[in-house]
Amino acid sequence: MSRFLFELKEGVIISLKAIFANKARSVLTTLGIIIGIWAVITMSTAIKGIDIAFQDGVASLGSDNIYIDKWEWFNNDTPWWELRNRRNIDMDDFRAYKDAAQLPVAVAPSMWTSQTVKQRDRTVEFINIQGTTNDYIETTNLSFAEGRFFNELESNGGRAVIVLGWDIAENLFPNGGALGSTVKVKGHKLKVVGVLEEQGSWVMGNWNPDNQVYLPIEFMFKYLQRESFRSITINVRAENSIAVEEVKEEAIGLMRRVRGLTYDEINDFSINQQEGLLNEINQTVGVIQIAGLFITGLSLFVGAIGIMNIMFVSVKERTREIGIRKAIGAKRRAILGQFLSEAATICLMGGLIGLGIAVVTSIIIDRFLPTSIQIDAVFLAIVISLFTGLISGFAPAYTASKLDPVDSLRYE
Amino acid sequence: MLIWEIIKVAMSALHANKMRSTLTILGIIVGIFSIISISTVISMMQTSIEEGVSALGKNTFQLQKWPSVRTGSPEERAKIRNRRDITVEEYYKLRDKLDGTAKYVGGEQWNFGVRFKYRREETNPNISVCGSTPEAFPNNNWNIDTGREFGYKEINSVEKVVVLGSDIAEKLFEFIDPIGQEVWMDNHKLTVIGVLESQGDVFGQSQDNFAIVPISTWQSFFGKRNRSVNITIQSFDKAGYDDLIETSEGFFRTIRKVPPGEENDFSIRSNENMLRQINDITAGFRIGSFVISGIALLAAGIGIMNIMLVSVTERTKEIGIRKAIGARKKNILFQFLVESITLCLIGGIVGIILGVVTGNVLGSMLEFNAVVPFDWIMIGVSLCVLIGVSFGTYPAYKASNLDPIESLRYE
Repeated sequence: MSRFLFELKEGVIISLKAIFANKARSVLTTLGIIIGIWAVITMSTAIKGIDIAFQDGVASLGSDNIYIDKWEWFNNDTPWWELRNRRNIDMDDFRAYKDAAQLPVAVAPSMWTSQTVKQRDRTVEFINIQGTTNDYIETTNLSFAEGRFFNELESNGGRAVIVLGWDIAENLFPNGGALGSTVKVKGHKLKVVGVLEEQGSWVMGNWNPDNQVYLPIEFMFKYLQRESFRSITINVRAENSIAVEEVKEEAIGLMRRVRGLTYDEINDFSINQQEGLLNEINQTVGVIQIAGLFITGLSLFVGAIGIMNIMFVSVKERTREIGIRKAIGAKRRAILGQFLSEAATICLMGGLIGLGIAVVTSIIIDRFLPTSIQIDAVFLAIVISLFTGLISGFAPAYTASKLDPVDSLRYE
Repeated sequence: MLIWEIIKVAMSALHANKMRSTLTILGIIVGIFSIISISTVISMMQTSIEEGVSALGKNTFQLQKWPSVRTGSPEERAKIRNRRDITVEEYYKLRDKLDGTAKYVGGEQWNFGVRFKYRREETNPNISVCGSTPEAFPNNNWNIDTGREFGYKEINSVEKVVVLGSDIAEKLFEFIDPIGQEVWMDNHKLTVIGVLESQGDVFGQSQDNFAIVPISTWQSFFGKRNRSVNITIQSFDKAGYDDLIETSEGFFRTIRKVPPGEENDFSIRSNENMLRQINDITAGFRIGSFVISGIALLAAGIGIMNIMLVSVTERTKEIGIRKAIGARKKNILFQFLVESITLCLIGGIVGIILGVVTGNVLGSMLEFNAVVPFDWIMIGVSLCVLIGVSFGTYPAYKASNLDPIESLRYE
């Protein structure tokens, strides 16, 4: 054991000397590895950032929820013209379901419309307006920056109250003071009773809660959009993610009864879950991940080729030295270890420097895409670079170790 | 010839160190491969998009209510939404004014989501139906496969005739001649007088899923006022095209009574400005992927420089001898430059071939149309030379500056 450690120490010392002896060469070789490691680590952080953004977006839906809707949200197996012919889900369906359902924690209807919201001379154009009931907030994970959701009284009475998403509040009231003020939708004044906290689910686009406002569904039916205009969505929250399947089963049974379907008719409604969205997102992120890592992996590969090449040169140049070492009793594994540790040292240095540059780069990327270098990336960089060094150094080191001492001593 | 001599020396040097040359070339192959395969996929995507949008005929542009790409601030979008629909009357007025100036002036209105039936066969209810004037056929590149198109006679007498896209004809009439058969379009009965040639797929999406009826007949089904008319205009030749756009714009402003100094209350769509807009949108994406895929090439360049430096050191003595017997600085410089450029070019050509093949395989999996990106092949070759020169210059310069006395003594 101690002998092995001695050989390792000796090998490292010799390789460090060799590296310093050929400064220009070592710098260039390391540079190749730096570029490779930098590209791979930066790319993987960027992808991580994209993934986090998507996951955050989905999180605003909540994993304990199902959404009963006329439309299938994520799955395109059923052609749209068949979905189109389904009967709208209306408030009667909703009430019948709500009365019969035992398992859900909260049930709320929602219907969207696209309208412009005004506040004095400030407007936000064509945002998603959700009409819903007071129970809606129980079906979500939304929290409030100020104020509250509308209560049962306001909901049932279709009062002119409104809850603003964070971005909307920022746009309409840049100086604050949204709570208690009035905004106008289609000429109707509504009182702001609450402002939601920022959710940051920008991948959801218009469906990002930050870009939406919420008002009583009865108010919407009265002033903004008829009940028959489009299907409502029934938002259902299960107690926890384990209970979701049961809630889903119950919902299918109840909805079939509510909609008066006979046993041989297929469902004329869809149960939507965030799972569907997750699948789509994972597919997209998966493709980006594979493509991105493959492309940047190529540059690491090129760096590795560079190392291998230069190690071959190094072996050739030091043929004599190898011959002498062998002649005075160095074992094959000592020679192998010497060249392997040379390659590994170059790669490790390159990897650490590349990692350092990647940290700086990711701080810059962070301004556009929330991301941060994870501890696993550091680990990854070290492991990858060591591995690269060993792989690309092996062939030259092996060649060196196989040299015949007699021939190599004679080598000119 | 001196140049041949130099190239021969360079080649033999590459040949002498096979392992080393192979590894260096491999680096370049990977670098060029990375750039070329990515750009091949991107240009396949680009051509697929372009083929999709440049559906208008040659030298043709279109006046329409909506801009082809909807961007801009909310205020601008609101302004566009408030535009008046283009009416058939406006179309006829423009046609009369452009009489003799333009080759064809066609008008068309669209409705989406109808179902066609023939006896027991029926299509999905996702067929678009276009009401048009006869000029719309040449303007849209709609070519008749069998039968005939309709003329003004059918328009004036509001005849219930239809020209079917090839998809519908295939679906409804598998074994019989469609011409003269009566089909149902939702609840309207129509006589088939023609079938269009297939226009192929874009992104795996068929372009033949529509039918054309006379514009008057269309209006009798779907109402006169509920859709804006698109006006397609074709010039006689390429030379008159730009003038014609300006003339038509002027005439149409008069017809729509747009006051001087106001913006147009309609949009002009031409294949050219569609392509330009698409290029604008995809530019960032293209630059980004070029840079990312270029990183590998940079690494390969560094590899070349490194190995060239080694090569110079090893051949110090040779350089000394060449100089001693009268070789000039520029000869030595040239020799090493040629060596590094040759390395790059060999790697580049292999990389380009691999890249184009891989790109096409990947792209066809994504249902893009096959493409040989000549522009990228040219860029690839120039990049090779550029890499060879820029990373070969320093070693070559070092070699050419060696002192002959010192280098002859070098051990």
